[in-house]
Amino acid sequence: MTTASINIPESATAADYPPIPVPNALTEFFWEGVANHKLMILRCGACGTYIHYPRPICPSCLSMDDLAPEQVSGRGTIYSHTTTVQPFHPYFVDKVPYNLIIVALEEDENIRITSNLIDFPNDDIRIGMPVEVTFQEVAPGLTLPLFKLA
Amino acid sequence: MANRDRVAAIGVGYSTTGRRTGLNRRQLVAQAAKKAMEDCGITPDQIDGVVLHAGVAGAEPPGLDWIDALDVAQMLGITPITFYNSDQGGPAYIHAAISAIAAIQSGQAHTVLTVRVINQRLSSAEERDSVQGPMRIPGDSQFTMPFGSVTPIQTIAALPAQRHMERYGTTEEQFGAHVIAQRANAVLNDDAIMRDPLTMDDYLNSRYVSKPVRLLDCDYPVDSASAVIYTTEERSRDFAKKPVFVESAALSATDILPAGFEKLHDLNMNSPYHAAQTLWSRTDLKPSDVDCAQLYDGFTIIVFQWLEALGFCGEGEAGSFVESGATRLDGSLPVNTDGGACNVGRRHGANFCIESIRQLRGNESGARQVKDAEVAVWANATGPFSGAVLMTAN
Repeated sequence: MTTASINIPESATAADYPPIPVPNALTEFFWEGVANHKLMILRCGACGTYIHYPRPICPSCLSMDDLAPEQVSGRGTIYSHTTTVQPFHPYFVDKVPYNLIIVALEEDENIRITSNLIDFPNDDIRIGMPVEVTFQEVAPGLTLPLFKLA
Repeated sequence: MANRDRVAAIGVGYSTTGRRTGLNRRQLVAQAAKKAMEDCGITPDQIDGVVLHAGVAGAEPPGLDWIDALDVAQMLGITPITFYNSDQGGPAYIHAAISAIAAIQSGQAHTVLTVRVINQRLSSAEERDSVQGPMRIPGDSQFTMPFGSVTPIQTIAALPAQRHMERYGTTEEQFGAHVIAQRANAVLNDDAIMRDPLTMDDYLNSRYVSKPVRLLDCDYPVDSASAVIYTTEERSRDFAKKPVFVESAALSATDILPAGFEKLHDLNMNSPYHAAQTLWSRTDLKPSDVDCAQLYDGFTIIVFQWLEALGFCGEGEAGSFVESGATRLDGSLPVNTDGGACNVGRRHGANFCIESIRQLRGNESGARQVKDAEVAVWANATGPFSGAVLMTAN
């Protein structure tokens, strides 16, 4: 597994980039997948349980040897949402109001992902709406898995 | 007192051991824990406590994973649990209280001072503007912060509150009814900082921070320290004030601290339900015996979660319960009689313990004294970890 690389220009400021993920040995597959426009979730080969956030052991059967990233459909439903009005980080000062959503994945509703819903009015977002993943370069060199209405 | 059965060790295990193993703390813990469980054939559901000390020998290597007792419990599927230790803030004052109560009950100490201190160094705007270069996020927050999930107002408050509203029909006016009733109690409390009465218009005109959460739904940031001393019943009669007694106490963790709360098995029905179940299982008292409830109010939605978890109303019914006036000082269950942390300042739960004690002493709460108060419950935190304590006057 190669390390997902995000090259940030030295001149960049906090206003240019959202908080930037720093992958580690357990999570680099996720960001490597995002870079290749794939949503990857760790799964236990022994019992089929999806594991997110990534951990080195399956909480259902305690298998440690049979865990591997698996591409998921990227489809799911909105589990909850909020529209943030006050910015708490320099990057978001000119982004407010912006939405945050929690997506429950189609493969397992207990696997939930925090993201943003794009191309849709904040005030019309509702729990239960079907969504699907899309990949966007939100700042130079930084691609994130975002969601759009399915 | 707790029984004094002898303690036995039953299982042992080592992780891979050696120089430069390339393993992080999380991997080492997983290996060793699994070995120890296999050693004695125990399964996670047979375990209900976790203690971890995650030391680093030498300088902290860059990018080292955070790991604490809840991470261990969660990744091994040991959940829910009723005891653990943590370096994290998390359930805040309840950790100190539960540790003191447990130490006294087991005879490890007879009189314990507990303190919660908070130093509010920067305002949120100062904190925001202090960020210089691009922020780099290791750990679980790498899955939430890049999307703009950067504050507890979003995760602990807004996302659960929105789900409560859409799932149960809870309204913003019902959140407002609590805020107004709580402020009315603060008006009667000399210790409160916020003491101007509020109307529904005041509430609905206050600005959103992250919808549906408004500024008035948030506790009030201050520097504060709060202290409570516990001792044995035998010694308790020797002091100046009338003692009040711990009837039951419960700590709970049902999840790890998910960076964006998105991983919680349920955004609203989480550890407070488990804590309440444990609390009531350790006493003959019932929710109907409680004379006043002091419920953690870091954000309004948390008060609603505790009202439901403790059984004062049904699941999803907190909005209508509060709107009925039941939780006002003249209602059937006065709630947050000191005005809550929204008005006395952020004390991470300790104010609710102190207000319970004052109410049960019977003569210290002035105009906000609940008549003949004999049973009080106070609660702390929410989400992945929380706890509650039931106290009695006699």
